[in-house]
Amino acid sequence: MWHNRAILSEATFILNGNLTELHRLSAEIARFCQDQCPDNDVAFDLNLALEELFTNTVRHGGCEGMADAVHIRLERAGNGVLVEFCDRGSAFDPVSAPEPDLEAPLEGRRPGGLGIHLVRKIMSDLHYRRSGEWNRITMRIPI
Amino acid sequence: MIQVTQETRSGWYVVAVRGRADAEAADELEGALRAAVEAHPKVAADFAALDYISSAGLRAVLQAARAAQTAKAEFAVCSPSARVKKVFDMSGLHHVLQIYGELPC
Repeated sequence: MWHNRAILSEATFILNGNLTELHRLSAEIARFCQDQCPDNDVAFDLNLALEELFTNTVRHGGCEGMADAVHIRLERAGNGVLVEFCDRGSAFDPVSAPEPDLEAPLEGRRPGGLGIHLVRKIMSDLHYRRSGEWNRITMRIPI
Repeated sequence: MIQVTQETRSGWYVVAVRGRADAEAADELEGALRAAVEAHPKVAADFAALDYISSAGLRAVLQAARAAQTAKAEFAVCSPSARVKKVFDMSGLHHVLQIYGELPC
């Protein structure tokens, strides 16, 4: 019984470096949140933050076409979900990346930069470290 | 994945977008919105049935808004759900886009 409960409170999955994997990312989050976070806003926000990190490493981190490029772990703990996002892209620290100018007029806005901004708005307690060939980001989303 | 339908209503060209505007669907979204603003003077993007949007989807909307400015067309984002509206707000796009709670027509 305890064993089953422990399994249900966490999920791990591996994604290849291809944007078609976004469907699987979304399905995995929906499955986890169905059991663990009845509030649908959490599933939406979690999906958004993880899509931004995933798309970033596929498009800009060199993970495009790489098998087993990203490992994700979700764990229900206390009043939130702990998230670990690991990718084999080039070293990139989303915690210290510069903020985009959100007040800029339309013609002065650079495309890009928004994704990491959204991750930092949604997630709490972001930590980054480079470990061998992996970027490891740990964070938490409150419920 | 998104589905896009278009119709003309009371002088507005309405582009209704259904589904998920993620990084995979962003090019299709941008293409549909740009084609509309380049061919019609008043375009409303109806997002009532849009379930999800990420920064890639936002960029598609932003590019369409720029194309509208160049073409001197009016462009409005209409009826986003509370969740989708929140993503626009968090990104500061509510400062630079016309976002309406409902369709103007």
